[in-house]
Amino acid sequence: MTRYAVPDLLPGTLDLLILRTLQTQSLHGWAISERIQQISQDVLQVNQGSLYPALHRLEHQGWIDAEWRISELGRRAKYYRLTRSGHRQLAVEASEWERMSTAIGRVMKLA
Amino acid sequence: MNLHDLLLRMRALVAPRRVERELDEELAFHIERETQKHVANGLSPAEARTRALARFGSVPLAADQCRDARGIGVVDDLTRDILYAFRTFRRAPLAALTIVATIALGLGLVAAVFTFYNDWFLRVDAVHKPGELFAVERPTGSGADSSVPFTRAEYEALRRETSVFTDVVAMVRGIETRIEGRPASPILVTGNFFQVLGVQAALGRTFTPADDEPSAGRRIVFSHRGWIKFLAGDPTVIGRSLPVNGVPCEVVGVMPEDFRGLGIGSPDYWAPLALARELRQTDAGREDDMPVDDVVGRLRPGVSPEQATAGLSVWASGRTNLKTAGDRPAPIRLEPRDGTLSADWLEVLAVSSPMFFAFGLILAIGCANVANLLLARGVSRQREIGIRLSLGASRRRVIRQLLTESLILALTSAACGFAVSRICLQGALYAATTTMPAEVAEAVDLGVPSADWRVLVFLIAGAIVSTVSFGLVPALQATRVELIRASRGEVTRDTRPGRARHALIAVQVGAAALLLICAAVFLRSAFAAALVEPGVRTSDTLAVPIANEPRRAAILREVTSHPSVAAVAAVWPLAQAEASAFAEATADEADDSAEPRRSVQVDYKFVSPEYFQLLDIDLLRGRGFTDAERTADAGVTVVSESAARALWPTGDAVGQVVHIRADHPTDLRRPSALLAPSRAYTVIGIARDVGGAAMFQFFSFSGVYLPVDPQTPGTSLMLRVRGDPGQARLALLDRLLRVDPALDHEVRTMRTMAGMGAYILQIVFWVTVVLGGLALVLTVSGLFSVLSYLVEQRTKEIGVRMALGATTRNIGVLVLSQSIRPVGVGLVAGGGLAAGLAILLLSMPGASQIGSTVQVLDPVAYAASLLVIVTTCALAASVPALRAARLDPIATLRQD
Repeated sequence: MTRYAVPDLLPGTLDLLILRTLQTQSLHGWAISERIQQISQDVLQVNQGSLYPALHRLEHQGWIDAEWRISELGRRAKYYRLTRSGHRQLAVEASEWERMSTAIGRVMKLA
Repeated sequence: MNLHDLLLRMRALVAPRRVERELDEELAFHIERETQKHVANGLSPAEARTRALARFGSVPLAADQCRDARGIGVVDDLTRDILYAFRTFRRAPLAALTIVATIALGLGLVAAVFTFYNDWFLRVDAVHKPGELFAVERPTGSGADSSVPFTRAEYEALRRETSVFTDVVAMVRGIETRIEGRPASPILVTGNFFQVLGVQAALGRTFTPADDEPSAGRRIVFSHRGWIKFLAGDPTVIGRSLPVNGVPCEVVGVMPEDFRGLGIGSPDYWAPLALARELRQTDAGREDDMPVDDVVGRLRPGVSPEQATAGLSVWASGRTNLKTAGDRPAPIRLEPRDGTLSADWLEVLAVSSPMFFAFGLILAIGCANVANLLLARGVSRQREIGIRLSLGASRRRVIRQLLTESLILALTSAACGFAVSRICLQGALYAATTTMPAEVAEAVDLGVPSADWRVLVFLIAGAIVSTVSFGLVPALQATRVELIRASRGEVTRDTRPGRARHALIAVQVGAAALLLICAAVFLRSAFAAALVEPGVRTSDTLAVPIANEPRRAAILREVTSHPSVAAVAAVWPLAQAEASAFAEATADEADDSAEPRRSVQVDYKFVSPEYFQLLDIDLLRGRGFTDAERTADAGVTVVSESAARALWPTGDAVGQVVHIRADHPTDLRRPSALLAPSRAYTVIGIARDVGGAAMFQFFSFSGVYLPVDPQTPGTSLMLRVRGDPGQARLALLDRLLRVDPALDHEVRTMRTMAGMGAYILQIVFWVTVVLGGLALVLTVSGLFSVLSYLVEQRTKEIGVRMALGATTRNIGVLVLSQSIRPVGVGLVAGGGLAAGLAILLLSMPGASQIGSTVQVLDPVAYAASLLVIVTTCALAASVPALRAARLDPIATLRQD
């Protein structure tokens, strides 16, 4: 399971990943990082120390909402959920990401 | 920032512990869940936990970043900064005290000016919808400030016949009364006054229209001010009877403190208009003809002021008795009336900006002083700041901390500044009333305007502005340090603080120079004004204006029979500035002259035959009026020298005929105005011109004199008395007050009247001299402390120089030379600015009068004030210079 240090995520991509992960369901912080790791097949490992500041920042921006619920461990955990403006923001960032990755892909192939 | 953000921040502020606990809980849960995962994968609990923690990284760091993300750090930092600041003040209390005192002085002075400004222009009276209230005026000419009052009958007609207002009130001011022997100034109002304004009494009730019926009893409503002054704030006064001018009046109400009756100063009480005759003690004249000073209406909703003006103009043009003699419809003007001085903002700016500028200069100098002090302290705090920076504080963070310190000092100063402003206002008032001529002092009722929330806001804003102006540069400067050297204790010697210091000194010297020059200019002008001969005999003469025509005969009787009165004359107008007494004079040239007939505008003055002798106005040629010539119908005139020259430049004026045509009919409506009959007059004498053109020359006159008799309504009396005029005035008043109490403040000695001009200049002089003195003291102390500090800084260097053979003299010159340049620059800037402002002032319209009274470019004043500054600056610089020169080189070199 050990791997080489993943290069830092592109600035801003962590926000995008969090928003996308929360698109369909509400999750707590650990689950978010696990999910990103699973889906990316362990390619993307979220720096857990920077996950929570990002969550708090997004909460302050009003893109995600938090509520305390009983977790699978049987104790209270903070669950995050996408708000309506979060959905809008996700759409914007996703299309922007699409544009960027296509562009980078083209450069990598053709340049 | 959005709503979400705000709510979260609020929550973090209101319940910080809970938010902290939740953060801890959230992070702890993460670690536990991760541990759980590892345990599920077969690791031992201890190992699982270690791995989870390792994966997470520093928990406190993450928590800190979360706190940063939620922006609560600002508050946290602020509390820490404030605590730190107080610790700094405790360490150096003297510096903090100096700063607070300096800034408090400056802020207090500016706040004192603002208190007046606020009272005059900003503080709207506490009435219902003040924006709807407008005064109706009839200006005497387009753009003229003066206007013709309406009569009571015209007010009633306006109220009845026009519909632009929901209702209209009328007021009469300027009545002198006495309550239990003390002067009390009322405003007489129509019965609907309080209802139209929509104000309730604080005690008792206000007037109703029924109170203004002639049959109603005598009732008065006290203002808060009058209630305190005459009744000592007694809450049980309602229903009590008080003697006003000896006539008992029932007190029916007391108004709240914030109601001033649509003026900037509150009267002592209000009385119904129906009492006018009784309070004035007039017993003739029809009620309807009584002029009312103010007619104020509440605009009907939906009617614009322009529409209202148009509507009123139509109404006015339909009334023949409102037309002027030229058969033009009388112009109508609406002025907003909300209890402030309604004035064009440009005028307000022109009046208030010099005051704010002059007083603000003190604040500016104070800020410069403090900035210098902080610059110096910044150098000594370099080590502390260096350590903070090397421990990881960002430069921004340190600057914020330094500015927080400055802001705390400034806010403390603002609080003290408020006290300073009150003390200044009270002190100035006391000084003004004690130095005023006694006759004037008893007539004016000055009070210090109270401060309200606007003054508070102004002070806080002032504190913030001062913080930026004295704290920003030093904070930027202090944080520009080389870390390694600073933490090692080596003070870096940047050239910049020196430059900033020099600039500050130059600003201070410039401002001080400007203020001192102003003070010197006004001093010289006040001297000059005091020395100018008034042109009439003032040593033993009195003026008695008569406003109460029905009592004229009685007053005349008292005056002529009084033992101390030597001679009596009549005059109108008393001062030319008080009335528009001018006419067109056309010289009737001799037949043989080929020149066209000359027409000039001349002032005219009605005087009785005794006038010339009584006031020592010499008749240069011809004769004065004889005892028989006591009306203009006599067809004779005495012409003043310059008027004679203007009409007959070549020939002899005596015996010539002049046609006078007075055509300024608007003034006719003033009850006391006398109009020169338009006809031909024979010149019988030439009189000396009186006074110069100076602004404050009360009696200056040149023009044509027309004969009149003391019996003529409107004329004032001039008396020559035996012995001291002040004593005679009191003796005379003793008798006259029984005839007409309103004469109380009207009878003046000519000496006082002539001295008023010089007195006004003296006041301005004292204000500027105090400001200039303060500026100088602050500047000098600033210069002194900066130089002393520099000497201390350079002790080692000076020691080396002396060891290398520099003489005491060299060292003294070295230190002195540091201050020469900034002081020189400041002097030139200050002098230049003063001259520039003077030239600007002279170029403004209406400034020619100022120019003739105040020598704004007086070279003596400039030279004297600059010399004072140079001398004091040299003294301030010489002490540190001498100290430097006396340093023992061996001792200084051995120091470390």
